[in-house]
Amino acid sequence: MKSWEIFRFEFKYQAGRWITWLLFIAFAVISIMMTRDGMLSEALHDEFLLTSPFSIAKTTVVGCMFWLLVSAVVAGDAGARDVATGMHPLVYTAAISKAQYLGGRFLAAVAINTLMMLIVQLGIVIGIYAPGVDAELIGPFRISGYLTSFVYISLPNIIFSTAIQFLIATRSGRPMAGYLGSLILFFMAYVVGIFLMLNGHKDLTRYLDPVGLHFILSDLSYQWTTIEKSTRLITLEGIVLTNRLIWMGIGLAALTITYTTFQFAHRTSSTWWWKRKRQQSPTPSIVGVTSAPPVVVPGVYRSFTFGTQTRQTFFIGWTSFKKLAFSWGGGFMLILLPLLTIPVVADQMMSDSIRLVPTTVHALQELTGPIASEFSRWIIIPLLIIFFAGELIWRERDARLGEMTDVMPVADWVPFLGKFLGIVFLLLAFTIMQMLASMTAQTILGYHNYEIGLYLKVLFGLQLTEYILFAVIPFIVHVIVDQKYIGHLASIMAFVVIALSSMFGIEHNLLVYTASPAWSYTEMRGFGATLGPWIWFKLYWVGWGLLLVVVTRIMWVRGKENKFRDRVKLATLRLTPATLSVGSLGMAAIIVFGGFVFLNTNILNEYRTKADSDELSADYERLYSQYKSNPQPRVVAAELNIELYPEQRAIDVEGTYSLENNTGRTIQSIHVATVPGIEIGEMTLSGRWALTLNDNELGHRIYVLEPPMSAGSSAILKFTAHLEPKGFRADGTNTSITANSTFLNLSSILPAIGYQSSRELSSPAERRKHGLAPKPLIPSLYEPQLASDRPSGVLLKATIGTSEDQIAVMPGVARHEWTKNGRRYFFYFTDAPIGDEWTFASAKYDIYKAEWKNPDSSDQVVDIRIYHHPSHDTQLDRMTRSIRASLDYYTKNYGPYPFSHLTVVERPGNGTGLHADMSLVTFTEGVAHWTINKPGTLDLAYAVMTHEIGHQWNAPSARIEGAPVMSESVAWYYGMQAVEASQGRAELLRLLKFMHEPYPFAPIRRGEPLLRGLDPYLSYRRGPFALYILSEYAGDEKINGALRRVLAHHRKPDAPLATTLDMYRELKKSVPDSLHYLLHDLFEVNTFWQLNADRVTGKQTPMGEWEVTLEISARKVVADSAGVETEIPMDEYVPIGVFGPDKSEFELSDEMYLQLHRIRTGKQTITITVPREPNLAGIDPYHMLDVYVNDDDNNIEVVKKDKKP
Amino acid sequence: MALQITNISKTYPNGVQALRNVNLTIPNGMYGLLGPNGAGKSTLMRILATLQEPDNGQAQLTDVPYTTTGVIDVIGAKDEVRKTLGYLPQEFGVYPKAKAEDLLEHFAVLKGYDDRKSRKEVVEALLRKTNLWDVRKQKLGGYSGGMRQRFGIAVALLGDPKLLIVDEPTAGLDPAERVRFLNLLSELGENSVVILSTHIVEDVSELCTNMAIIDRGEILLETQPERAIKELQGKTWRQTIDKTALAEIEKDHTVISTKLFAGKTVVHVYSNTAPREGFESVEPDLEDVYFCAMAGHIGNRKPAAA
Repeated sequence: MKSWEIFRFEFKYQAGRWITWLLFIAFAVISIMMTRDGMLSEALHDEFLLTSPFSIAKTTVVGCMFWLLVSAVVAGDAGARDVATGMHPLVYTAAISKAQYLGGRFLAAVAINTLMMLIVQLGIVIGIYAPGVDAELIGPFRISGYLTSFVYISLPNIIFSTAIQFLIATRSGRPMAGYLGSLILFFMAYVVGIFLMLNGHKDLTRYLDPVGLHFILSDLSYQWTTIEKSTRLITLEGIVLTNRLIWMGIGLAALTITYTTFQFAHRTSSTWWWKRKRQQSPTPSIVGVTSAPPVVVPGVYRSFTFGTQTRQTFFIGWTSFKKLAFSWGGGFMLILLPLLTIPVVADQMMSDSIRLVPTTVHALQELTGPIASEFSRWIIIPLLIIFFAGELIWRERDARLGEMTDVMPVADWVPFLGKFLGIVFLLLAFTIMQMLASMTAQTILGYHNYEIGLYLKVLFGLQLTEYILFAVIPFIVHVIVDQKYIGHLASIMAFVVIALSSMFGIEHNLLVYTASPAWSYTEMRGFGATLGPWIWFKLYWVGWGLLLVVVTRIMWVRGKENKFRDRVKLATLRLTPATLSVGSLGMAAIIVFGGFVFLNTNILNEYRTKADSDELSADYERLYSQYKSNPQPRVVAAELNIELYPEQRAIDVEGTYSLENNTGRTIQSIHVATVPGIEIGEMTLSGRWALTLNDNELGHRIYVLEPPMSAGSSAILKFTAHLEPKGFRADGTNTSITANSTFLNLSSILPAIGYQSSRELSSPAERRKHGLAPKPLIPSLYEPQLASDRPSGVLLKATIGTSEDQIAVMPGVARHEWTKNGRRYFFYFTDAPIGDEWTFASAKYDIYKAEWKNPDSSDQVVDIRIYHHPSHDTQLDRMTRSIRASLDYYTKNYGPYPFSHLTVVERPGNGTGLHADMSLVTFTEGVAHWTINKPGTLDLAYAVMTHEIGHQWNAPSARIEGAPVMSESVAWYYGMQAVEASQGRAELLRLLKFMHEPYPFAPIRRGEPLLRGLDPYLSYRRGPFALYILSEYAGDEKINGALRRVLAHHRKPDAPLATTLDMYRELKKSVPDSLHYLLHDLFEVNTFWQLNADRVTGKQTPMGEWEVTLEISARKVVADSAGVETEIPMDEYVPIGVFGPDKSEFELSDEMYLQLHRIRTGKQTITITVPREPNLAGIDPYHMLDVYVNDDDNNIEVVKKDKKP
Repeated sequence: MALQITNISKTYPNGVQALRNVNLTIPNGMYGLLGPNGAGKSTLMRILATLQEPDNGQAQLTDVPYTTTGVIDVIGAKDEVRKTLGYLPQEFGVYPKAKAEDLLEHFAVLKGYDDRKSRKEVVEALLRKTNLWDVRKQKLGGYSGGMRQRFGIAVALLGDPKLLIVDEPTAGLDPAERVRFLNLLSELGENSVVILSTHIVEDVSELCTNMAIIDRGEILLETQPERAIKELQGKTWRQTIDKTALAEIEKDHTVISTKLFAGKTVVHVYSNTAPREGFESVEPDLEDVYFCAMAGHIGNRKPAAA
């Protein structure tokens, strides 16, 4: 009864408060918006139902995250209000038990929080059923979807989070301390979770995720098929169940601690025992009037000058900083976070599980992130700023020292600026700690070139600026709102709006506080031109910051008059000339810098929202798709005169295209697609023609030919193109041409022939919105391929001029080089046709030159050139060896290499990507930082280079389903063969092990079969595995032969483009009939083998040999595209392996036995005799069939030994 | 120096009229503002301490030394007042984890003691004066009520204030602490205006040379304790009776106050002439003045129609 009364009173009290209702409204709004905006677009994209349990669960999880951030006040108040208000002596002495008191309060908080999360569910319902949603996306109403989300996700989250917040609040006696509990949980969910995730501890992430972020947002969105997303209910099983149990356990533990440590006792400030000896207050012995001579207080001069005020400001700043730094939160920020930074930086120096040289550039990428773009890893910092600012602003009033402080003879701006300075000091200290942490990580990894200058520039110049600008927000919000909890809530809301502005439809960086185009830094490019726009935008925001500071200063709460009207009246009185001049300075900055930015983003350059550009794409399709099937000539040769002016970031191109009509039909008019934004000077055709349409905005021209171009005839198109940036755009500046380095694909600026389907909108949602007919993302595999559809390839000749200190690169033979008028010129030509992507680069390169001689008798010599950043020279040798080995193997097995040159170019960028065009491979700077940290580890640079060179032997293939399998899978298969041939089987097994890791391509257990494969997992992993296992079963030569025939056939200019069906046909011809089942399983359907070694025993025979007995279970299932799995009976050959104890290279390096055995579905026993003592044995030991290494890694077991003969 | 308060009124948003047309002249020295709980004392104190705005009215410090005009507008020139103001609020807290010395020094910085060395001296002197020197390194959270109050007055005394406002400082103090605290106040020089608001009559009678009685926002009496007592001489009478007889007496006499003494009721009545049998003349004290003023026998309030 008593606990009911405590519950009832608390519930009623909290339900009657403003803040509770504000929170209710906020949750409804967020949930409706999430459903309408976030989920709707995703549902449209993925075509699942908005009413599906998946969609509901996702919104629920987001609601939970948001709840965690803003609602700690509920539990905090229930736990600590009595102490905070000084009511506790009355309550504690009432005849109630601890259980009644704590139980009633806790349950009331849970009840309020439950209501909030119910409102999230309600918001989802409103979001779905309120008018405006496409009826196709609304399925039948199923209460179970809402219930499962609520019961499995929201309710446990509420219970254990409330328990933790409640614990911290009751312990500290401060309601706001509940927020600290929230921040820690949030930190667990977001920061630690992502950190563990990226380091491959995926399961741990799922167990430790307190909100459901990972198992709902990441796992299910990835693993569930569209049909599952539309219908399947979330179930409480497996990891989800364990996770919920773990966290309920933690919640229970928090409650237990609360209960056992809580005491109905007077709260004294806890002192450590060694301080207890201090004397108590000395009381003068005489009571009554004393005649002791008065102590004279010296009449010291006091000053009230500006200098004093400045010193007072710094004094308050310093004491505020000390107060924060020595609080729990401060320790978290200044000690724990930097300590976490060390492993974060250290571990992130792995790219695809290969170590990167921990250069400062790479380290800095882990430490920075703008406030105003979607939540980054450092989202915790703005949240801490909000928390700390609130604590500082309310510090005096919370301690009931407000009146005493307010009457001090200090100017109004002193306490405000002092506290702001306190936050600035804290951020400064944090930045210093972050820098030290990062340097520590570098040192641990054995790297000592710290580049302090770069650290200072980036961390203190760029990142700290973001934080300090943001810190103004909680100040002004608290001062305007003048209610602590609502101030916190409003500050967090303000942050959410800033961080997710695009979700709210605000795109222009001039409209989102602190937003600016991103800066970037690479060793090749430096900051490029990215710093300028960043600075202009930030100066503009500093202007706003000053204005906000002025408003905060005049609205600063002092004294007891806190009616808003009175405060506004007071504020006008506080507008002193000095304040006004600071305000005017801010205004001036806003006008001047804002004006300058606006001039750049909206006047010099056209400003386009995403909707605007979509509209243009839609217009293009509406107007010109009618010409899609008009016969058009092909570009067969191009001659380009390029003048690059790196300093001006300008490029001039004079181009001549040789066009050929090989359509077999008469061409009436030529359609030229120009690139909007590129100035086209002249554009003329040979012969007689009339320009009947010239649409510069959409980039389409029609030249009507007189007479028409007959079949087989040719023509010349001449043009000039000019690109020069005018200032910067709202999203920053194009980094492809900068003073230090230029890298671009010329097709992004040069005219092309015919209607460009690639400009069409692709997402079904956008197409629907613009009333365009639905179109598949990619044409079906079964679309017929015609020889006439294939591009013919282009012979390219290019003369390039660049600045004298740079080297320009294009595909082709580097024939001449000369200097003229202080500029350097290069001439390149291709000796065989290349594709239509023409890479163009210019930078201060060093050239590493090598040669490859064809080992056959042909005397073919290929000139290898690696253009690299001068300091990036560690990979050159290995790259060259890899290129040579690849050329050896590929020319022998797949066909001739058609060029006399092979160019490798480094391009600016910190990623680790490589890309192959015909006769040219590019790599980003990160690749140059790949390092082999110990012998016996995979040489990834070597392996990836074999893959890129492998692309040169890709058959020209059609852009339809299965296209990435034809290019990526085949090139990886080539690469695996080249690695095995040149580096040995051990290296190949290392490569296979690397490829089985779930990063960067996580396994997907659904979708299309390999023949129609599109996604990266299928094309980069399953495809190469499939080809490789075929080669293991049928022999390399059979598979190589099939691929060689595909290439030979489709290389012919009159052959149609190749598809996976062509490859499949050749494979079928190559492999014996007995393997057709495997071919079918691998390519035609999505097959999953589950092969386990349940128990392995070994027994020594009297002869001294070993008899190994494997108890094996096997099954295979086929998953259809919707993810429905059907078991298929198995009766086929599977490799069985036995391995000895020698692990000198890696675990399986001592291969004693590897043979195919016939395996059926179910359990079976196999006995093998090996000559030596075995260590490991298993089925499919290299995971060729059973490719899921992570989920079920019991293919191999340790042999249990029975030594007795 | 004097504080001139003219026509100050203040009504709260909830309709409570805290001050009505208050006029007071407060000379140098201790000034007692006596009134029951809720009389408007604290509102007046806060207005004088620059923390609240009156709806109308003026308050001026006159004859202020070291100023050009000699006048400070307490309502309008807040920054000027604060430079010479000491304020001890009725209720205040402390940072429980801060040491007395540190917090006092913090306030000293805010009060404009710019020089570190002399600031330390001032802090030391004040800590000694308030008898907190020995516990200066203790955390304020462990202070007793009296120590905390002394710490408060130390803060208020920083900067040698010419206008010192102490709002109900003795409420809740034990007798010894109260005496100690009043001792401290009594030492304050005669050259500053000290306003002591209290509901305890003895505080005023023990300390103040001038006083005013305030109730429901109105000044009932502005006087000097000695004079007021003298004016009441011969008009106060006392009788010790049984509680049941009280109604009888109230019918015929103007009762000032009734008190219990050893279980019997002692009743004071106001009368210009000797009342009937059983009453004896009694020497009036400030409490009689207070109750007379509250009841309207003397001062500005009209006596309630009997």
